[in-house]
Amino acid sequence: MAISSFYGLQTSLRGLLAQQRLIDTTGHNIANANTAGYSRQEAVLQASPALVIPAGGVASGASAQLGSGVDVQSFRRVRDGFVDLQFRAQNTAMNEWTAQSEALDRAELALAEPGENGINNELTKFWKSWADLASSATEPAAKQAVIEQAQSLAGAFGTVRAQIELSQQQSYAEYQDLTRPAGPGDPGGEVAQISSELAALNDTIRRYVQVGDQPNDLLDRRDLLVDKLSGYGQVSVTHSGNGSIDVSFVDTATSGTTYPVVAGSESKWTGPPTSWSPGGRLGGLLKAADPTTGSLRGYLDDIDGIAASIKTVVNATYGTFFETGPGPAGATLRVTQDLLDDPRQLDPGTGNEGSNDIAMAVAALRDHPDIDRAYRSFVAKVGAQVASANRQSENQQVLTDAVDNRRQSVAGVSLDEEMTNLVRFQRGYQASARAMSTMDEMLDVLINRTGRVGL
Amino acid sequence: MAGRITTSMVQRNILRDLNSISDKLTKTQLKASSNKEITRPSDDPFNAARAMALRSDMEATIQHQRNAEDAVGWQEATEQALGNITESLQRARDLVTQGGSDGADQTSRESIAAELKQVLEGIKQSANATYRGAHVFAGAKTSTAPYVPGADDTFHGDRAGLDPAIPPLVREIGPGVSVAINVVGEEMLGNGDGTDGKLLSVLRDAIDHLESGDGNALRTDDLRGLDANLETILEIRARNGARSNRLDSAIDRLGQVEDSTRAQLSGVEDADIAKTLIELNSQSAAYQAALRSGASIVQSSLMDFLR
Repeated sequence: MAISSFYGLQTSLRGLLAQQRLIDTTGHNIANANTAGYSRQEAVLQASPALVIPAGGVASGASAQLGSGVDVQSFRRVRDGFVDLQFRAQNTAMNEWTAQSEALDRAELALAEPGENGINNELTKFWKSWADLASSATEPAAKQAVIEQAQSLAGAFGTVRAQIELSQQQSYAEYQDLTRPAGPGDPGGEVAQISSELAALNDTIRRYVQVGDQPNDLLDRRDLLVDKLSGYGQVSVTHSGNGSIDVSFVDTATSGTTYPVVAGSESKWTGPPTSWSPGGRLGGLLKAADPTTGSLRGYLDDIDGIAASIKTVVNATYGTFFETGPGPAGATLRVTQDLLDDPRQLDPGTGNEGSNDIAMAVAALRDHPDIDRAYRSFVAKVGAQVASANRQSENQQVLTDAVDNRRQSVAGVSLDEEMTNLVRFQRGYQASARAMSTMDEMLDVLINRTGRVGL
Repeated sequence: MAGRITTSMVQRNILRDLNSISDKLTKTQLKASSNKEITRPSDDPFNAARAMALRSDMEATIQHQRNAEDAVGWQEATEQALGNITESLQRARDLVTQGGSDGADQTSRESIAAELKQVLEGIKQSANATYRGAHVFAGAKTSTAPYVPGADDTFHGDRAGLDPAIPPLVREIGPGVSVAINVVGEEMLGNGDGTDGKLLSVLRDAIDHLESGDGNALRTDDLRGLDANLETILEIRARNGARSNRLDSAIDRLGQVEDSTRAQLSGVEDADIAKTLIELNSQSAAYQAALRSGASIVQSSLMDFLR
């Protein structure tokens, strides 16, 4: 069988076109070297179907196949789905601890311990003012000082409590904002927005996949959204086979309970359940700032407990000195109005004006187990919890970075590699072009010089 | 780890290392500038609580020292008044002895009586001694002078400490340790009722006897009465002196406790300057090395070498 003289031109053309696509892909990779969530792509080449030379076409008499060049099979994104799963698990844990560490950190700052401005120092000065009163029982200035110092102590409790409460409210508001479901005219919080974006992407991807396309860049964007969602809570992803995915939050406490975020092209997010442990930033915020069970709530209760003890213990010794309420003890602790109006009524002793037994007894309450020591162990508790949250979030950061590095190692763009490829592909293109011009010269001989003998 | 190292990995790793070193550097710098090992409870929760406890202890110790010094001042005022009273008492004894002798005639007895009255007034005045505005012999009624000048010898204070029902004036000089500081004037000078055998009654009797010329009573009852009162006052002064000694040694001991608490607090709370500075230097060297190596890695690329 005769093979067309122009056969080789077609082969070279295929080569030229394929090398061009390779260079195009390299350009795309370089352009997206800094795009978040981008995974590098490569053109998959395959030798094109060979020309079959029927039996007798070659010397042995057998049939043969003559290569016909190259075809681009597909553009593939290089990504390892398993590392994605690892990354999301670590990312969930990291965000849970970071959220807790941020919320508790503000509470720790509010305490201003150890130092001159904390409650501990106010307590010390309060007991001291009673001891001073015991030494100068008849001096109005000493009485005034006790009242002032008591008010200053109560004020310190109020300030610290307000700061912790503010931190709790801010963190809880962030949680509510993140989880707000979409409504009419309201795209909803971060989770709802991701959910509706995922739904839209699912729809588009499904349509491409149905006609056999591979929408690499849309897949990257969808994976990036799931990564982001994994920062908010533990996610589970189910592939439904037609290219779309179902995403749900998974409860970290009760294994297996799922809260759907998106199913196919439908956003399923209708707001958080009343009680759940999603892990991630949402879980961290809840653990720190839940209005009934969060750590900050516990801190407020501790502060209130100590303030109530101050009232009980001092009043048990002095009579009616402090009062609290209505409302939490930490916020409302104050000296009784009668004493504020007339500090001279403050009675330092049971006997005549010089007697100081009451003032002595109150001053001796210093270092009381329910007050000073309770406060110190409270500070130690806060310190230990903040230290642990900081440590955990640092550890998780390292783990997350390690997994992300592994992921980048597979999917990331290496500019050096792309430059090498560029050189390689350019050479390939040049060589294909050279093959084509060789054909051309050959044909030139055949067409323009053949049969001109003797001219 | 797979062999592929991508551009963003390199950049991110460098950035993370830089962040982590500069974070450490900031912490060390804070340590060096504040000279505190613990600036927040989470730095070291246990020692933070311990530092707070030590700080309270130290304040309490300082307060106890102040209380003890105040008590010493009170004792000194008391002692000075008691010294004056003792001198007056000795003068009174001389006068009574002089007036009780057979050689003294009525005129000289009356002039002695007049002087004795002055001595009595002087004693009452000494008993009205004050410390920082408080009458030291008036029991708990510190703003009332215990005795008034003139014929009225009634004690106007209260019996704080003398009467077990009324608590004495005390100063706390240690945790749970307190010292009674006051001497009740009535214990030595009496209430002027004429029958209690106390100093004022005895002196009044002696003045009466001088005026009535009862030399026998002067020689016997009055002298005996004065001697007994001298005993009492010396006894009170001895008690007072013992108390002052106790306070002085308490002040010494409290000073030592304060020093050792301060040393402990410093050990828990203060930064070790030498260590911190060495850390600071080595960390800042590491930071610069990271910056330098980062800069050279980030900048170089294959593109520099391809034509």
